[in-house]
Formats: sequence, C-alpha cells, structure tokens
Amino acid sequence: MPTSSLTCEGFIRQAGATSIGLGMPNIPLAMVPDHIGTKSPEELKRDVMEVTAPQVIDNLTVQPASKGKSNEPAARDIVCKGTFAEINQYFIDHELSDGLPIVPPTQQAVETFLQFTDRDPNEVLGVILPDSRAATIWSIAVNGVMAGCRPEYMPVLIAAIEGMCDPAYGVEHSGNTPGGDTLLIINGPIIKQLGFNYTQGALRDGFQANTSIGRFWRLYLRNIAGFLPHKTDKATFGNTFRVVLAENDDVLKQIGWPNTAQEMGHAVGDNTVTIARYTGGGSFSSVSGDTPETLLPYVADSVLKYHMWQLTFTTSHGMGKLRPLVVITPILAETIAKAGWSKADVKQYLFDHARLPAWEFERQLRDWNIRGVWDLKDDVRNGRIPKVFYENDDENRRVPMVWKPEDFMIAVSGDPLRNNMYVFAHNGFLGFPVGKKIQLPTNWESKLKKIIGWVERSATHQSGDATPRKVGCAALHPPYKIGAKT
Amino acid sequence: MLPDQPFEALWPRSPRQTGIKPLAGRLESLNGRTIAQIWDYLFKGDVVFEHLEQAIKAQFPAVKFVSWREFGSTHGGDEKENIAEFAKKFKALGIDAVVSGMAC
Repeated sequence: MPTSSLTCEGFIRQAGATSIGLGMPNIPLAMVPDHIGTKSPEELKRDVMEVTAPQVIDNLTVQPASKGKSNEPAARDIVCKGTFAEINQYFIDHELSDGLPIVPPTQQAVETFLQFTDRDPNEVLGVILPDSRAATIWSIAVNGVMAGCRPEYMPVLIAAIEGMCDPAYGVEHSGNTPGGDTLLIINGPIIKQLGFNYTQGALRDGFQANTSIGRFWRLYLRNIAGFLPHKTDKATFGNTFRVVLAENDDVLKQIGWPNTAQEMGHAVGDNTVTIARYTGGGSFSSVSGDTPETLLPYVADSVLKYHMWQLTFTTSHGMGKLRPLVVITPILAETIAKAGWSKADVKQYLFDHARLPAWEFERQLRDWNIRGVWDLKDDVRNGRIPKVFYENDDENRRVPMVWKPEDFMIAVSGDPLRNNMYVFAHNGFLGFPVGKKIQLPTNWESKLKKIIGWVERSATHQSGDATPRKVGCAALHPPYKIGAKT
Repeated sequence: MLPDQPFEALWPRSPRQTGIKPLAGRLESLNGRTIAQIWDYLFKGDVVFEHLEQAIKAQFPAVKFVSWREFGSTHGGDEKENIAEFAKKFKALGIDAVVSGMAC
C-alpha cells in the first residue's frame, strides 16, 4: 500500500537512516519545515498547505526510485590490521567507536571472552532496531572486548543484551530526542565475585566492572542496534553512558527488604541484571531525620520534582508506564526499616505524598508538552486511567504521579554512612524496566580462579585499599599505597 | 601486547537481517481513493491532518479520508497492540493509501 511519512525538517536524516534498517531505503517522506512546536497556527497552515501537501501527493502517486543494498563486511571479517593507534583511528572513522580508545577486538581476545559462556557464538538473542542486526553471542564478545571489559564479565553482558532484546524494554526508541540513557542494576553474589563497587561512589567511574559494562551497553547500541548521533540517534543533548549500579544486597538482606532482582520476579540469591532508561536524575543531599515520618517528606518532594514532562508516561501516551527510581543509601534504608517499615510501606508513602495539584498536572501535558487532545476527567470517564486521577471537580485536588504504589522503584546502594539519595527520572515505555537472570557457565568458579587477580580485586576495592593486584606485566615501581606516609 | 604491535581487528557489527523490500505501486490519481491518517498523537498531527485534507481535496475533490481516531496512537504504551490491528482495519475500511505522522 502506498504511504507518505510526515517528517519535520530536522528528522529527515534520521528517517532516511532508519529506513535502511527497515529494508525500505527509498520510503517516501513529506517534510514539515522547521519544527511544529514553534510555529504559529498561521505559519503551520501555510507550511503544510504549500510545502507538505504537494510532497504527500507526490509520495502517493509517483513511484520512488529503487535503491540497492550496501556492501558490508561479514560477521567475522577482519576489517583493519595495524597498530593500536591505527586500529582506533579506523574505528572512529567508521563510526564503530564512542570516541574513547577501544581495545582492539582480535580473534584471540574474543575467544577468551567466549570461554565464559556455554552458549553457541552464533546464537541470536534477537534482531534489534533500527539497524535490524542480529544480537549474537559473538557480537557481545567483540563489543565487550572493545569496551575494556574483562572476559569473566561475559555472563553479565549476555544478560544485559537479553534485556535489550526484550520487546517490553523498547530498545527501538533509544534514539528519541530527550536522549535518555540506560541504567543497569546488578544483584547477586556476582557483585562481589566480579568486584563491582556497591558502596561509596557507586555511580562514579573508576571501578572496572561498573565502568566498562556501562560503556559496553552504549557501544552495543551503536554497533548492533545502530544508534548513531546525527543519524538514527536524535538525542537533543544526550550524555555519556551510565556507570552500572550494584545494589548493596547485604544491607537489604539484613533489614529484610527485597532487592531489585526479587522485585523483578527473581529468586533470592539469583545473579541478575535489571535495565531501565532514564532521561535525567540527580543527587539530593542530607536526607535528615530519625524516623520514616521525618525522612520521607523530603524523598517524596524530590522524586516529584525530578519528574516533570515525564508525567506524559503516567497518562497521555504512556498510560501507566512511569517507573521512578529512588536510590537511597544503606543508612537511610536502615533508619526507615528500624521503625518497622517495609519497602512496600515506603512505596505507599510515596504514592500518597508525591502528588501535585490536578491543574498543574494537566498544564504540564496540555499546555507545556506535546499533546493537546486530552484531560484527566475525560481519561477517567473513558476508563483509560485509574479513578484516583479524577475524584472530584476541584482543580486543586492532589493527584499521584504514578498509577499505583508498586510503580515506584527503590534501590539501596552508595556510601553506607551518608544520608543522601539519588532520583532517576524514568523514560516510560521508551526504556521500561526489564530484569534478566545471569546464566553462569559450567565451572564458573574454577574459571574465575584462573583469571589473574580476581580474588585480590574483589577483596580490595570495598575496603578502599589500593594494594596493587597481581598483573601480567613487570612492575617497574615498588609496591605502594596511595596516601601512605613515605 | 604493546600498542605498536600489529592487531587484526574484527568487525564489531553483525549483518542486517532485512533485505531490500520493494515498495508498493503508487496510485494514478487520489480521486475515488481512501486515505488512512495514522498518528502518534504528538506534535499537532490532528491540526496537520486537517490542513492536509483541505489541500489534497482542492486537487482531488473525490478523495476520502479515514480519521486517525479510528486507529489509535502509533506511539504510546499501547502502540504494539494498535499497530497489530492495522492490516485488519485497513482491509475492513477499504484503505488505498496511508499518511503517517508525526516524526518530530
């Protein structure tokens, strides 16, 4: 059936790049000049009547010229031979790198990674839009090498990409203009086995597992999903990849709260990766109080303030898909739990108190945001959203920011003895939370022990001790400790 | 390995899984044809479709349109369900062509 796709001027290149992956590189587009959001009604009418409409008519009545298929390498082709610098320049020139140096993905390095999975390297986990490339075990290993991961991270990388391929996550939306980035949350014994940082500086780079796996995610989005800035990735601003967050499972177990893995349906002690995409977030300092009643008003106020236009994922076109994430430190979780509060109690509190006046909620979406054909009253009366959003005609009635208490996510990590928190502003169905179990290979522990230094690494970073671990190169400087007196 | 040693680097992508799909034949005229309006409920598409109807009807007076209201949003929490219904709805409504928006 003939089609015409209406595309704002700034999105013509994205539409063209996306159409290649869809197998329709000549799909016809009709342009709307500039951007609709800043036009007067008169300007919009003139542009649509004089520019867009003639193109729509052409799209439907004139056969587009056919286009051929590009000649790309095969999956296991060597694409470059050279020095470290030459390889890196090639990868940057061919849009295969994020701009930081990559570890050259050699056959030997990739095979080392594949030793940490029992799965066939040719296994396809899914076909990912917009490029429609196969997400294979092989390609995970290649991009894991490039990102600076260690071979034993392979089971984590596979679980993460299983999440990326899950339709519920919505990876195809990863190039949208708010430019959100995915947070990976790790749970289970693998946190200590691989040396993830889950205490002070939990979201800071500087810990190989947290940092390199975070980088891997975005390299995989680039190279397999096909999200490239100025083409398929239309992030207006964007930001760098997120460092992986490891939860403090010890504290959660101690206070009797479920961790993120359990809340995603996994068993106690399972190793898991949970992914979700966030458009923003920030740290809130000094959450002070000695009871839930004194601590939580600040938390409720903060989570609300970090979700503004994101309310579009609560009603409007998101329809109950907003999942705000609050990360609190162990000392805050312990203080709340000491009063007998469960995690569910905290979520109920946030549902009851993180509210805003109905007129403000509607103004955000109807007047300030992107859709003008909706209101809370109409949506409740037509059964599209819960009744709590329209219980009376008072425009000052306070409405919740999510559909139900369970929609809030709460994680525990960070500096154990600092009373701060971090709020992540969620991106709704454009990166919905998905949790995957990490499948370990046979002989996992013996394989780990063969990897030089793994025991030392996991033991040192939690204590902050910078004792050098065993490495394969010759140390030319005597062992030293940072901060030690000389 | 030292940085100045030669490396043989593998391609980090995997082949695309889609071949080139031929586009449908175009229409000789829009007169007597029925055009479906498909919308993601964003960026004033409802207004844009009104203007498009006016402009296209000026050139093809016998063209017919089926409103976006018949199809649901193509970009939202229920997008997959709505899109899955398109083929059936197009057939039932006698659709000859589709105009889809808004990519903004």
